[in-house]
Amino acid sequence: MGDFKLTSIEEFEAATAKLLETGAKVGADSWQLRVKNQTPHCKFGEQGVCCRICSMGPCRITPKAPRGICGCDVHGIVGRNYLKFTAGGAATHSDHGREICHTLYLSAEDGNYHVKDPDKLKKIAKEWGVETEGKDIYDLAHEMAELALLEYGKPFGNQRWLKRAPEHTQELWERENIAPRAIDREVASSLHMTHMGCSSKPEALIRQSLRAGLADGWGGSMCGTEFSDVLFGTPKPIDTEANLGVMNAENVNIVVHGHDPSLSEMICEYADDPEMIAYAKSFGAKGITVSGVCCTSNEVAMRRGIPMAGNFLQQENVVLTGACEAIVVDVQCIFPALGPLSKCFHTKFITTSPIAQMPDSEFIEFHAENAGENAKAIVKMACENFVNRRQDLVYIPDMKQKATVGYSVEAIVKTLDGVTNSQVDETGTTKPLLECITSGVIRGAVAMVGCNNPKVRPDYAHVELMKKLIANDIIIIASGCSAQAAARAGLMSKEAKDLCGAGLKRVCELADIPPVLHMGSCVDISRMLVLAATLSKESGLPISALPVVGCAPEWMSEKAVSIGNYVVATGIDTFLGVDPYVSGSTEVADLLTNGIRNWVEAAYTVEKDIDKLGDAMIARIEEKRAALGI
Amino acid sequence: MTLFDRVFSGSDAVYGLTEGAINAAIEKYGADKAVAFPNTAYSLPCYYCVTGTKVTNLGELKDALGVVKSLMTREQKLNDAFMSGVATALCAEFIEVLKYIDGAEPYSEPCYGHLADAVIRELGVPLVTGDIPGVAVILGKAPSADEAAELVKSYQAQGILVTLVGDVIDQCVEKKVNMGAGVRVIPLGKDVTAVIHVVSVAIRAALIFGNVTPGDAAGLMKYTMERVPAFVNAFAPLDDVVVAAGAGAIALGFPVITNETENIFRVPKSLIVQEDVSKFNATSLEARDIKIKITKIDIPVAFASAFEGEIVRRKQMQVEFDGSRVDCFELVQTKEASEIEDHKIELIGPDIDTFEKGSKHSIAYIVEVAGRTMQSDFESVFERKFHSYLNCIEGVMHTGQRDMIRIRISDAAFDAGFRAKHIGEVLYAKVKNDFDAVVDKCQVKVITDPELVTKLRHELAIPAFDKRDDRLQSLTDESVDVYYSCIMCQAFSPSHVCVVTPERLGLCGAVSWLDAKATNELEPTGPCQVITKEKLIDDRIGEYEDVNEAVRKFSNGALEEVSLYSIMEKPMTSCGCFECICGIEPFSNGVIIANREYAGMTPLGMTFPELASMTGGGVQTPGFMGHGKHFIASKKFMKAEGGIERIVWMPKDLKEQVAERLNATAKELYGIDNFTDMIGDETIAEDPETLLAFLTEKGHPALAMDPMM
Repeated sequence: MGDFKLTSIEEFEAATAKLLETGAKVGADSWQLRVKNQTPHCKFGEQGVCCRICSMGPCRITPKAPRGICGCDVHGIVGRNYLKFTAGGAATHSDHGREICHTLYLSAEDGNYHVKDPDKLKKIAKEWGVETEGKDIYDLAHEMAELALLEYGKPFGNQRWLKRAPEHTQELWERENIAPRAIDREVASSLHMTHMGCSSKPEALIRQSLRAGLADGWGGSMCGTEFSDVLFGTPKPIDTEANLGVMNAENVNIVVHGHDPSLSEMICEYADDPEMIAYAKSFGAKGITVSGVCCTSNEVAMRRGIPMAGNFLQQENVVLTGACEAIVVDVQCIFPALGPLSKCFHTKFITTSPIAQMPDSEFIEFHAENAGENAKAIVKMACENFVNRRQDLVYIPDMKQKATVGYSVEAIVKTLDGVTNSQVDETGTTKPLLECITSGVIRGAVAMVGCNNPKVRPDYAHVELMKKLIANDIIIIASGCSAQAAARAGLMSKEAKDLCGAGLKRVCELADIPPVLHMGSCVDISRMLVLAATLSKESGLPISALPVVGCAPEWMSEKAVSIGNYVVATGIDTFLGVDPYVSGSTEVADLLTNGIRNWVEAAYTVEKDIDKLGDAMIARIEEKRAALGI
Repeated sequence: MTLFDRVFSGSDAVYGLTEGAINAAIEKYGADKAVAFPNTAYSLPCYYCVTGTKVTNLGELKDALGVVKSLMTREQKLNDAFMSGVATALCAEFIEVLKYIDGAEPYSEPCYGHLADAVIRELGVPLVTGDIPGVAVILGKAPSADEAAELVKSYQAQGILVTLVGDVIDQCVEKKVNMGAGVRVIPLGKDVTAVIHVVSVAIRAALIFGNVTPGDAAGLMKYTMERVPAFVNAFAPLDDVVVAAGAGAIALGFPVITNETENIFRVPKSLIVQEDVSKFNATSLEARDIKIKITKIDIPVAFASAFEGEIVRRKQMQVEFDGSRVDCFELVQTKEASEIEDHKIELIGPDIDTFEKGSKHSIAYIVEVAGRTMQSDFESVFERKFHSYLNCIEGVMHTGQRDMIRIRISDAAFDAGFRAKHIGEVLYAKVKNDFDAVVDKCQVKVITDPELVTKLRHELAIPAFDKRDDRLQSLTDESVDVYYSCIMCQAFSPSHVCVVTPERLGLCGAVSWLDAKATNELEPTGPCQVITKEKLIDDRIGEYEDVNEAVRKFSNGALEEVSLYSIMEKPMTSCGCFECICGIEPFSNGVIIANREYAGMTPLGMTFPELASMTGGGVQTPGFMGHGKHFIASKKFMKAEGGIERIVWMPKDLKEQVAERLNATAKELYGIDNFTDMIGDETIAEDPETLLAFLTEKGHPALAMDPMM
């Protein structure tokens, strides 16, 4: 022990600077350069006051021109933009979930994809009232997959998963008319509402934003998470490593990037194949290292302990190491820049999904039917590419941290079972966590999520906020690129307990956990919803009364706004470090930060000063405690 | 009120009381009045360990209270609650130490109050071996005296050391619970502040065994949490003061189990509400992760390590077997597997119920074992354990070894149905349990026929012992190929490593070279590992490259080099549970040795606890060395500095214990007759000048030797 030390943001930046020197040598572009070119950003866009939904415009609102050509005021325009943004995110997450359902539908005993967690499948089937007795597991899988797919287009009724929420939350959704119907319908309705000449009333637009968000969180994302677990196994604590140093200069390096685990799982499977390892050796490599970027990395880290090379803004860095034989991508958050960048090196940039097709990439389309052979072909291609490396360009920053990841809700409950006393406690509940919270040993929990964004010093907000929160006895659950920032800094090492306040430190010691728990990819924020719902039910308190908040300090994507909406609509106050293009409308901004509290008992806080953002979260948690008298 | 508010309120209340008590004491005695606990080298141990400051008088105690106040911060965080809990404990220590002013003896039967350092050093070995699997602190008043007695007895039967504070003491007295340090139930005192006396034990363990630096509060808490298996049982009603004290216990890593349900919060593994007192035991053990080693033995009385120190007095005695008066012996013999019927217990001769109450008889018990990996060298290893085995029987006392044993069986045990064959049952069960890796089959013969015992003593036992002695004689550091490491104590003393050689047993006195060899055989990846001795560096001080490598490895890098035979150059370290300590006496160029049992002063101006506090915790301290009693007569005892000739003083008792062997060694090495007559003791001198005069008069050889420093 003793010698444990976090990796600092300055060390992250020094490594990046060194990699950019390599980039300069080969004339590579980088996001850092592009940010300069794009600065300053369009003010109208930033404030959300630009409307280009019809060809009469574009219209942009100024004091002198307070209305668009159709007469829409700034509040309608900002609100519409916000809803469109949300719909984009909800569609994206949900379509990812749909792909997983399809994969489940195509799973077969002798196929490329199997049911790795039959118990979870049966549990969900029971939840949905589907008979499991005497059924072949694949018959059940196909039946469940079809039912799940119907959730996307069901003509009547609400999302099945809503029943997982506490009664009180369900009542709020009913009362406010935001309980999501079919997933696709909520997306389509959103786009309908934002069409020229439909809604311009901020209240209606924001209400639909929440509803579309809920269709994502309690619909499409939850399908994605739950059925990924069925297919690839429910994550449990596993040790891994994080940061660029996980790439190995002596090995063939394959980097998986994107979000859908169907591809990365298969690549990992074949990279482990002795035949492939021998093949890599035949080209002079010592073996094959698969590492990940973004959420596909989170998926395989949680289930296989595959190391995490980096998060969103590190994606170019993995190529800049000069040691990346192939970067294989599926969907979402993939820089088109990777195409031209890979051309500066020997790296193969391989796209695999019809959803994400890019110039300067090799497109190898992935389906459940051909997944195995294509994965093998990609691994082979990477091995063969090893000999094309330019050794003078190889530089892998010697920087990595240990991390324990894999805290699904199931794993958290199991971990909590470990601190129960069989003489007085029941197992299989979150009660030990609730006891830690009510006694004050832990002050509360913060769900840290979201992306990187060059508007915020990359990873700084994630890491500094987490350090501040754990020092104040607040436990962190993290997902997505936030989780990777934590892992790269060392905050997911069990040794990070020494950075905690006495309360959280003791909890980490007794439960043998790191202070920042990795709950998965961005789709897996649905796990956090289930956790919050469970805590609420087992404490008898509404979710909004729990000393729990959400935070996305460096968010950038449409998905993040969709997430924010469903988290808030679930009753969890959400803190943002980047404004969601709503500052142009006092009405919309006020609704989001204030008004919606009357609907869903929670609202947004936007604060660009990261230190103040942390203080605000701590203050909110303490307010909630005081209200409960704990 | 939040849990932390309760802690703060309790802590404030105790602080107020302490401030008043100290002010009153200063008014009465003046600020210069000395304050101290008896028989400890650690001042006010809790305050010293937490702050690194020793308090000697009332004025300093008042200053210390100011430091305590600074711990009592009031944020709603666990750290603040922990620190207020620690402050509460320190205040309790201050209140308790005031009771000892002017050498007062504030505690009387059955209460113990403050416990001496020696008690803690004795606890070291049983705690690491698991003979004492845990330490219970029971506080308050049980719902009924019966429940109190049941709870205490349940722990006692598991070998757990029980300390009692408050009304539970009277409840146990009422129910005639067998109490006292010998049976591991220690009533501390009736005021809640008396709880500090057990906290003080845990904290001194950190100083003695853990080499925790005084003032390193975080290191202290880590040590106690990871290595002291204590827990608290606090009976309802819990007032804020007890809640505050509980926070202190939890800060040290000791869970609190209570039957309080009003205004209490639950914290997993730390503050557990168990309404049913009859489940306190199971709840507590689980909370502290204590596993009880159970040996199921079919005998009519209890069998637990708690009874190991129990004394059977003459008037409670049903029958006695006394090897000093009649023929008796105990023996282990290796046989062929075909000669043994496993678990056959045979009584040859009359049983105990035919003996008159209070009478003396002959007894022999022969434990015959067979096993593919059994070695005759292990026979004596097993045999030495019989003392402990038989003592663990409730109502049976065993002393001595070989053919000089004495066994008493109490009338209570006899009335419960204890008979001669039960001795066989215990020996069988324990040998099979403890040595299962080498013993495949075992049978026991218990012989009470006096003529047969006499015959077997002379024809079987004595020749066997003689043979073994010859073998032991031939076992020298030079004659064997390997030594052994022993890190059994690392549970407490994480950086200490003993190097066990034939002529230098472990400093606790419990692990000889043969024991280490057997342990290695029984558990090849266990605490005793083979150390080769092929790369000699320095013959004079006994330094080997292989030994250094092993020590480096097993101390996890804490220790670089050790010598086997010097106390000045790279001396071997101690864990803290050593039987004896020797230290240089500069006026005579010699060393003095004090044993743990010795309570008086030595010519170095330090008592055993004070000398002992100079070393331990796996740290090399040239000039001081912990060691086993047996080592004193070894030819290798500080051989580098000239050997046993350097010994100028030991307590009389110790001198008598080692005289025969020490004199023999002196005769062999230097031709000196009756060397022990030249060695001082407390009846001759407790100061260096008188000692020097005595040594000069006797012509002690050390005087003519070179100074050691």
